[in-house]
Amino acid sequence: MKTLLAEDDFASRKFMDKYLSQFGECDVTVDGEEAVDAFMMALEADDPYDLVCLDVMMPVLDGYQVLKAIRDIEAGNGTPKEDRVKIIMTTALNEERNVKMAFELGCEAYSGKPIDVEKFEQVLKKMKLI
Amino acid sequence: MAEEFNTDGMLDMFLFESTQLLEKLEGIILEKQDAECFDDSDINEIFRIMHTIKGSSGIMLFENITKVAHKLEDVFYYLRESRPENVPHLELVQKVLAVSDFVNAEMDKIREGNKSDGDEKEIVADLDAFLKQLKGEIKEQGIKLPRENKHEEPTQFYIAPVASPDSLFYRIVIHYRNDTQMSNIRAYSATYALKEIAEDLLYSPEDIISNEESSEVILSEGFYMLLQTKNSKEDILALIDSVEAEKIDIDQITAEQFGKGLAEINHEPIMPEQPVQAAETPTAAPAAEVPQTDKSKPIAPGDYVVKSKETGKGKTLAKNQPKQQSIISVSIEKMDALMDLIGELVISEAVVLQNPDLKVPGLELSNFQKASGQLAKITTELQETIMSMRMMPLTNTFQKMRRIVFDVSRKLGKEIELEVIGENTEVDKNIIEHISDPLMHLVRNSVDHGIEENADDRVAAGKPAKGTITLEAKNEGGKVYISVKDDGKGLNKEKLYAKAKEKGLLGTKEITDFTENEIYRFITLPGFSTKEAVTEYSGRGVGMDVVVKNIQGIGGRLEITSQEGEGSEMTLIIPLTLAIVNGIVVKVGNSSFVIATSSVKQFVRLSQDAIVTEPSGEEYIILRGTYYPFIRLNKKYQIEDSQEDIENGIVVILEHEGKQICILIDSLVQEQEIVVKPIPPYIKKVRGLSGCTQLGDGSIALILDIAGLIEDEERS
Repeated sequence: MKTLLAEDDFASRKFMDKYLSQFGECDVTVDGEEAVDAFMMALEADDPYDLVCLDVMMPVLDGYQVLKAIRDIEAGNGTPKEDRVKIIMTTALNEERNVKMAFELGCEAYSGKPIDVEKFEQVLKKMKLI
Repeated sequence: MAEEFNTDGMLDMFLFESTQLLEKLEGIILEKQDAECFDDSDINEIFRIMHTIKGSSGIMLFENITKVAHKLEDVFYYLRESRPENVPHLELVQKVLAVSDFVNAEMDKIREGNKSDGDEKEIVADLDAFLKQLKGEIKEQGIKLPRENKHEEPTQFYIAPVASPDSLFYRIVIHYRNDTQMSNIRAYSATYALKEIAEDLLYSPEDIISNEESSEVILSEGFYMLLQTKNSKEDILALIDSVEAEKIDIDQITAEQFGKGLAEINHEPIMPEQPVQAAETPTAAPAAEVPQTDKSKPIAPGDYVVKSKETGKGKTLAKNQPKQQSIISVSIEKMDALMDLIGELVISEAVVLQNPDLKVPGLELSNFQKASGQLAKITTELQETIMSMRMMPLTNTFQKMRRIVFDVSRKLGKEIELEVIGENTEVDKNIIEHISDPLMHLVRNSVDHGIEENADDRVAAGKPAKGTITLEAKNEGGKVYISVKDDGKGLNKEKLYAKAKEKGLLGTKEITDFTENEIYRFITLPGFSTKEAVTEYSGRGVGMDVVVKNIQGIGGRLEITSQEGEGSEMTLIIPLTLAIVNGIVVKVGNSSFVIATSSVKQFVRLSQDAIVTEPSGEEYIILRGTYYPFIRLNKKYQIEDSQEDIENGIVVILEHEGKQICILIDSLVQEQEIVVKPIPPYIKKVRGLSGCTQLGDGSIALILDIAGLIEDEERS
């Protein structure tokens, strides 16, 4: 599993990087724009990510914008729904409307912080990523 | 309902929605419990409810709930598609209730921050068996089985943050020795050390690294930190480098104090408080970075871009401007605080409007009167508004009673119908909380003791075989009446008397010494139960006394009427509001008293010959052929310079729970709204007084407790 992690907070970044690395390669960006760039680079290199984890509050572009950008890129490429990259939002913003919007924008999972690792893994399994 | 606020928005919403759905479900079930079968719209509705719960619990990753809901949805899917006949209705009702109970229990666990670990296997197997039987039935009836109910696995998931209900909050103050070099760096290293265990950490001064002058502030005032963590005081102490520290104070504070932030809490002393059960998850920390955006306005991608990050400051977001709000939820504590403030406002209004300075003769006051009229109007409206904000319908409470009647009557094998009247009556939220348990008790009692054991007995007495319990709420004259009425066997006076006597509750008094009402009231005495056998539901003799105590605690009372053979009725009479009452201010000598307007029957001037004096010195008043006990307030409370002569004073007839009493006062002052304050604890309890209040001229008036006066009189 190849993962892209966008997270601007150092502690969370370190934790998630460590955690996700056990399942495979994990690339890390510190803001939203970089995350979109990284996603596109991987597409161009024909080595796309299996999973993208997005923090919401980030500099330059927030997580929702990144989510939307990725889905737009995929739509532009004509990627079928089942082949789209799996996206998990990881954020402490877990009000219902935040979650709802993220789901509407097309993320697969929304994980409140602090992250429940057990459930996180359960979801990864459900998405058949691990 | 999610009373304890779980701060995870999604989880909250899930709990809230599911609770509502389940309530709706129970509503349908209990309404149709005795019908032959569910009709199409019910089946559809139940199917939909289960479908929703299944879906949302799937997203929330509560698999046991998902599985159970899924199975029940299946059952109703077949019912909906094939419409088989002869469905064992009662069995189905019980299955649905079992599922509802299971989900409710799981949600309770989730609400308390525990794992939803209930084992669904048994219930699923049970439903499976039922489904199999149902399918067989469908085939037998020659109806084609519909194709399998297709389930879509949820494709989106919500991972709730780790719940940790036991977060603790601390205030830490470090005083460094005066000659400490670079105390700001030391302070920073302390914050750094604590970050390891901190769920949230605030500190003051904030700019310790960038501003060297902060070191002087730290030296002179100390370094303040607020810490949210799961660790203990000792852990914290161990982490802080104490080499240069002169003194390190660590106080535990409440989540609320924590929320106030450093600015407020900084220098006020902290009362040693019991460790609070912080009902917050770590994300609840009042992190500066959570934007206080408007709930009603939609959010959009781009609202959460982090603009810039200054050292020592929280993140600022693009969408941080305050906006208008349409609905907000407010904590009850704040509402109570507002209520108290309005009470104070009413008092100060009276202080202003009845200020003695205004009594100077010859003052031109017409403009003042106009303005004060306006002020009075507004304060009244303010009061009404806050009251209406606190009002909630009794619907939910009554819904619970339906369930109790259903459960208990099934268990006892009695057929009982519950009739509900006036469930939309609105009552103060505080009161709802207080009556739920007493009401439950009354209803259980009615089912257990009220309705006859045997349907045959009922038929023999000329009543329908099915018992009826009527639950009624109404709102009358500033009071709420909630009654539980059954058409059962009623109360037997002789039996009650005999029992009370046997329990030694009565002393030597004869049955004729008691009125009917008084005898019924025996059942509210502690340790009294006429039921010989104790059942699971009632009969332990604890209960009715607790009911009465609870009700009295909110200023209400319980009234019991009964007709042997025809049934009993228990009525809770509760004031609509607790804090502000309409009262009449009266004078006795130089003291002011307040009498609640609702207990005054009449004011009369009587002549000396209306008084009858008994040899023992007790005085009575005869008015229109009725005797009333007579109390001279001046004598009772040793007030000097007051009217001794009944012809110069005024006699007030007061009533409480059907009993009447007369008191003698000097003069009437006025009627006004009274904010009830408890009598301060350093004054020992005085009989006949329930509280005090402040009058317009700043003086204190004592509030008469009519029930207490009557009780006192009966005792003497």
